[in-house]
Amino acid sequence: MLDLFSEIWSTLRQNKLRTTLTGFAVSWGIIIIIVLIGTGNGLMNALMNNANDTVQNIIAVYPGVSSKPYNGIKEGARMRFNERDIAFSDQFSEKIDRAFGSLEFSDTISYGKEALSSEVFGVDPMIKDSWRVRIVTGRFINQSDLKDNSKHIVIDDDAASQLLGDDKDYSKLLGKYINVGNIPFKVVGINEAEEQSWGHDSYIPYTTARTMRTEGAWLNRITLEFHDLQTKEANEEFENAYKRAMNTFHGFDPEDTRTTYMRNYYIGNQQMSKAMRIMRLALWILGFLTLLSGIVGVSNIMLITVKERIHEFGIRKALGAKPISIMKLIVVESVIITAFFGYIGMVVGMAADYFLDKTIGSHPMDMGIMQLYVFKNIGVGFDVALEATLLLIVAGTIAGIIPAWKGAKVRPIEALRAEK
Amino acid sequence: MLIELKDVNKTYFGAQPLHVLKGINLEIERGEFVSIMGASGSGKSTLLNILGILDNYDSGEYRINGKLIWDLTEAKAAEYRNKMIGFIFQSYNLIGFKTAVENVELPLFYQGVSRHKRHDMAMEYIERLGLKDWSGHYPNEMSGGQKQRVAIARALVTKPDIILADEPTGALDSKTSVEIMELLKELNERDKLTIIVVTHESGVANYTNRIIHIKDGIIGEIEENQAHNSVRFGSDGTLK
Repeated sequence: MLDLFSEIWSTLRQNKLRTTLTGFAVSWGIIIIIVLIGTGNGLMNALMNNANDTVQNIIAVYPGVSSKPYNGIKEGARMRFNERDIAFSDQFSEKIDRAFGSLEFSDTISYGKEALSSEVFGVDPMIKDSWRVRIVTGRFINQSDLKDNSKHIVIDDDAASQLLGDDKDYSKLLGKYINVGNIPFKVVGINEAEEQSWGHDSYIPYTTARTMRTEGAWLNRITLEFHDLQTKEANEEFENAYKRAMNTFHGFDPEDTRTTYMRNYYIGNQQMSKAMRIMRLALWILGFLTLLSGIVGVSNIMLITVKERIHEFGIRKALGAKPISIMKLIVVESVIITAFFGYIGMVVGMAADYFLDKTIGSHPMDMGIMQLYVFKNIGVGFDVALEATLLLIVAGTIAGIIPAWKGAKVRPIEALRAEK
Repeated sequence: MLIELKDVNKTYFGAQPLHVLKGINLEIERGEFVSIMGASGSGKSTLLNILGILDNYDSGEYRINGKLIWDLTEAKAAEYRNKMIGFIFQSYNLIGFKTAVENVELPLFYQGVSRHKRHDMAMEYIERLGLKDWSGHYPNEMSGGQKQRVAIARALVTKPDIILADEPTGALDSKTSVEIMELLKELNERDKLTIIVVTHESGVANYTNRIIHIKDGIIGEIEENQAHNSVRFGSDGTLK
């Protein structure tokens, strides 16, 4: 192997300029691939801020309005969820692990002179895991809050900072009393605001929310945590069965689909990952097409090289070189050119990704009411680097194979007769 | 018998089929120093290519050491050439980007000889041919005579059964030609090497012990030349 490399090194030295120019095309192709995939990753990271989270196996059920009269119930009658519906979900215990209701309303929360509008969720403590609430300081609503109807609240860090008059040290608000409407609540915890969420989310005990609601203690949402629903079909089947049972339970037409609305996070997530996979593939294809011109370039140069060296190959053959060793010489040379310059391209591409991440990746776009990250964590992982390396080796081999075959098949007398 | 040719025929099929070798019968024994002489177009180059397993023949038999050379794959032919034949060409055919010693190493490289051993063996032959100080030089830094000596070292390094020299003096001046022919003669006498020289120059042929004349694809006169007096040239050191 060492012999082969020193053979190739001595030939590469012959044509420095040509080798460099060819290599540039390969480097360029790899730079494009790395930057495309890096920014593509950035875009996807920004789109799906919690891409690292495991998939949420939850369905959110919202009440709707009946679309047809049935058994004395008129069209346009409201579906009302209450606590009995939670217990009712037990009949689906085969699929549903847990069900919990939440009461939701918008209100103004204020502290001193500062005030802002927030969505207030009256929740069961268990919802924390289901909804992926991330506590940054303090704690979430707990069971004793629920039992005591405590006026305890968890607000998000953005809201906390705003209430403190744009003080970044939001933990100062912990233990302080803030007003929800005009009822004072003690801040027991602060959660991480969801990026790219329009507005703020606050959590209070479900039981407390029930007492605050004047228009009746209807549930705004039932969250179902399920398992064993892998496919889209299985999910749809389950959703329809649940809807029918719910309709029957509430005296609506079992086939009325408008009485409840469902949002399946699991399927949503699946579709999102699918879209991301497609996008990734598209970026790879784009990058590969760019690289292809580099490969064609290498192949072309190797063809010229073979033509120029045909006399030399004739000498080698006369001295005992087998076709396979001539072939190896050319293919390995091609792989070395592609791999070497491809590696340079990879390093430059990664540097470009790093630069992009530090510039457009760390400055959110200001949209007035909110800040939006278009790119986040631009860059490629080790896996992409590995894939790109493999791609290069394959590309180099492909680029070398036709010229190598041409060089290997030429008969020694013809090769010796060829012009030097 | 080292080399045996029986009724070897070769036709080039082009626009006009050309019957180049018309039934060649030839025997050469180990240790012989022979020349194949003929004008251009006589078929001597084709015969040389067949002897060197660089080309194949259409019918007949060609045996080296009793081994039939027929219907070989490229890889097998390469292996035979590597082990049995050493080539010396008119135009030296050294590889330009390799030094003298690297050129000599090349046949050993294709035998899979290790790097160090290869280098030592090549150096030994380089020294024997008086090129010790030139081992690290590239061909374009050497004179024609020196280049041909490198080529001879390369032909000898594998200790082949046959040395095939194709117009070995064709590109050299007369003084150097004499030196090269003297060298080949010495190699034959001292090392008992079988050497076949293909030439159109009678002076060169006169150095050999047997001169095989080829004309129009047929072996003509075979001249015993132990006294080296077949022509006026050569006897007094004048080749050209």
